[in-house]
Amino acid sequence: MRRLFLILLFLSAAVGSSTAAELDRAELIDRLCGDAAALGEAGRSLMGVAAEGSTADRAWAAPIARAMMDRKLTCDGAGAVAITADGSRDALSGAPRTAAESGRSPLLSLKNRSVFEMADAALALRSSSDLGRRAAALRTLERQAVTLPELLFESAAAEESDPVLRAQISAVAEAAALNSVDPAKRIAALQRIAATPDRRALAKVGPLTKDPAYAADPAFKGAVDATVRKIERGIKIGDVLATLYNGLSFASILFMAAIGLAVIFGLMGVINLAQGELIMIGAYATWLVQEALQRFAPALTEYYLIIAAPVAFLVTATIGIALEAVLLRHLYRRPLMSLLATWAVSLFLINIVRVTFGTQNLNLVTPFYVTGGVPVIGDFIFTWNRMFAIAFAAVTLGLTWSLIRLTPLGLNIRAVTQNRTMAGCIGIPVRRVDMLAFGLGSGLAGLAGLALAPIYSVNPQMGQNFIIDSFMVVVLGGVGTIVGTVVAALGIGQVNVLIEPLWGAVAAKVIVLLMIIAFLQWRPEGLFAIKGRRK
Amino acid sequence: MSRFTRRSFLQTTGLAAAALASPLGASSIIRSAQAAGTVKLGCLFSSSGTMANIEGRLNHVVRMAADEINAKGGVNGRTIEVAVSDPASDWPLYAQIGKQMLEQDKVAALFGCWTSVSRKSVLPVVEQANGLLFYPLHFEGDENSKNVVYVNSPPASSVLPAVDYLMSEDGVSAKRFFMLGSDYVWPRTINKQLKGYWKSKGISESAWKEEYVPLGFSNFQTLVNQIRAFADQGGGKPIVVLTVVGSSIPDFLREFANQGIKATDVPVLGLDMVEADLEGLNTEPLVGHLNCWAYLQNAKGDANAKFLKQWADYVKTKNVPFKADVAIDPMVSAYDAVHLWAMAAAKANSFDVPEVRKAFAGLSFDCPSGYKIQMTAENNYASRGVFIGSVNEKQGFDVLWQSKDAPKPVPFSPYS
Repeated sequence: MRRLFLILLFLSAAVGSSTAAELDRAELIDRLCGDAAALGEAGRSLMGVAAEGSTADRAWAAPIARAMMDRKLTCDGAGAVAITADGSRDALSGAPRTAAESGRSPLLSLKNRSVFEMADAALALRSSSDLGRRAAALRTLERQAVTLPELLFESAAAEESDPVLRAQISAVAEAAALNSVDPAKRIAALQRIAATPDRRALAKVGPLTKDPAYAADPAFKGAVDATVRKIERGIKIGDVLATLYNGLSFASILFMAAIGLAVIFGLMGVINLAQGELIMIGAYATWLVQEALQRFAPALTEYYLIIAAPVAFLVTATIGIALEAVLLRHLYRRPLMSLLATWAVSLFLINIVRVTFGTQNLNLVTPFYVTGGVPVIGDFIFTWNRMFAIAFAAVTLGLTWSLIRLTPLGLNIRAVTQNRTMAGCIGIPVRRVDMLAFGLGSGLAGLAGLALAPIYSVNPQMGQNFIIDSFMVVVLGGVGTIVGTVVAALGIGQVNVLIEPLWGAVAAKVIVLLMIIAFLQWRPEGLFAIKGRRK
Repeated sequence: MSRFTRRSFLQTTGLAAAALASPLGASSIIRSAQAAGTVKLGCLFSSSGTMANIEGRLNHVVRMAADEINAKGGVNGRTIEVAVSDPASDWPLYAQIGKQMLEQDKVAALFGCWTSVSRKSVLPVVEQANGLLFYPLHFEGDENSKNVVYVNSPPASSVLPAVDYLMSEDGVSAKRFFMLGSDYVWPRTINKQLKGYWKSKGISESAWKEEYVPLGFSNFQTLVNQIRAFADQGGGKPIVVLTVVGSSIPDFLREFANQGIKATDVPVLGLDMVEADLEGLNTEPLVGHLNCWAYLQNAKGDANAKFLKQWADYVKTKNVPFKADVAIDPMVSAYDAVHLWAMAAAKANSFDVPEVRKAFAGLSFDCPSGYKIQMTAENNYASRGVFIGSVNEKQGFDVLWQSKDAPKPVPFSPYS
């Protein structure tokens, strides 16, 4: 009975006149504290408030919808308490009060969550004073624009002070009018939808070919066909771009993991199995920098990924140099022994870190510049954390290349790589070059750890995933060439990404490995072999 | 040969041996003290490799439960001693260490394994030695060994209720399903059963898609693209049934959130997702994703409050390298398992496996989840409650739904 009454009440509010129906706030609070069905109704009436409620009602409802989303509304005997930006307040009166101990915070089910998400965004669009928040709300509403009341966008556009956002609201409203009765509005909606050609748009427009108007109205038919064509083209372009971007981002990860190894393996022929652990230590150094910044300079915490770069490099380079000086220099003539020794070092480092920091994933703050992404065209989303890795890899490549090509140290490294004995004969301090090159390679691994921190989980085991991939890159590229490393990383990354959607990730790994084996049969020196006498 | 050779050889091999010994050696050197009046329990949980973060804490839970029982006078007049090992997330090593514990250390029962592949590798060992293995994970079912006690739920009382919920009006009326799993026995069997279940409901094969990734896989960009393409095809509400394990879970969730997919667009039902997998993640964009277990940390009741406090105190006093304020289902299941074993041993007044096994029938224990877990003479399964959890912004799960009582476990699925 009560339910029926509520539904009637809700219907009368929803159907309600444009003269801003009076909102029964107490009733709404009651429903917010009710069961799942009542909660859903409450969400829909909040949406009604957003579309046609009075200014006062909207201002009252906005923080309540937000509090529901954040599960910060507590129901107790005396009503409900919402924790908002201005502290803990009674939901009905707005008077400051705290919830009773026995209070219960209603949890939104997924179904109700999407109702409240829309209501919250609609209320924010209408009543938030922050332009960014309003723009974000519009983006949320856009996902389900067709199901929302038309009046919402009309009133929001009429009140919007920012001209850019106003135009955007009108555009969303126009696109939402796809099922309107007015054919002109429908055609306009089609054109609007064609502006964002993705699969979601196609799902909206595709069924229109079965619409009665499609057979009856040639203008409408033409518009639908043109829109479908345009969307399909957009999706194709988007898919190609997405594949390229995914390939590039995977390549950047491979490159970062392999470049340090390329220097070490190329120069000294040392198979450094601890390279993955140096990556891990780079990531831990990054985390330590973040912790230090949080303690001593909280304002800079967001920029820890940039500030940590020299630290990660220096820490791992120091470890690398120590490793070389203490252990590896005695084993240069015995590759198998150095392989075992570096493996031991890798286990040692993993366990040291495990004992010191524990095995759990580290909590790295995600700064704003590596959060989320922007849709470009079709279903291609440009994600910032991947972009960060790509940019970081590009900068690392540039710096490494200049170091090797343009500095005296680089000249020495190249000389020793080409012919160790002859380089020694003409007075190059081979031992010192070895040490510095090993430091450089280790430092680069540390930078890789930093670049990977926003993408992968940081834990003591993280390095083990990279060691095989990076060896593949180095061997395929040709030992000791930067250009080879770049090309091999790009190739492996792209081939992986191309195969994955076709045969799955497991097959992709196998096929790539087989391809590399086949290629090395044909060219054992790799893609770019250094000419000249090998040791 | 240079004069460094011998010395450097000794140095490096020495160092190598020392480093090698630290993780691998720990696994073979099972700390033992043959004191009279003790009974030994063995743990088979990895503290290294891809499962380390989640499995490692179970060693400590078993110890904590044993301490609790010892404080009350032990079992049959003997105190419990817990032998801990590290199978290093290496599946055959579980069998090797299990064998060693059963045959050399003569443990009265084993508590171990997380992934089904590790359980399957230990299975022949415990069957041959006629030992007992308490397995604390919910799993794919279709197995009923007299030597394994399945403390957690088979799919009929964990996965199916959750999928049913998502397909119902109260859930999201899910119509289309993207199954993404790690490539091994548990995800493949679960997905096979789910497909059988959907077929029995008259859902056509075009409504689902199945993808697998290697264990430890982390680059989910392309797969998330595929999920988006699948979701945007229309034809009903899509959901993701996620059966990837270990470090793949946070890596997947991170990519999922970064591509702007919210739980209200495509909810993820993470079947192996626990509170510990959310450590280190910004869960704000992930709020609303679901998991299903027989225990959630936010379960109501005094038993849970007591358990959480016990764990927090244990972490503090023993300086355990895990978070004091995070409790996950397998921890509670391992805790239950030790108590079930102790109750059975006390009831049988013996530590003999056949005697203990006979005593299982009719046991019941107040689990921290708030349900009474019970065992019958029919099989070695325990009946547990069902929870569906929803990710909150505080890296935990809120209880979205829970079953009225603990359903009777059904070991063999009719849908596979």
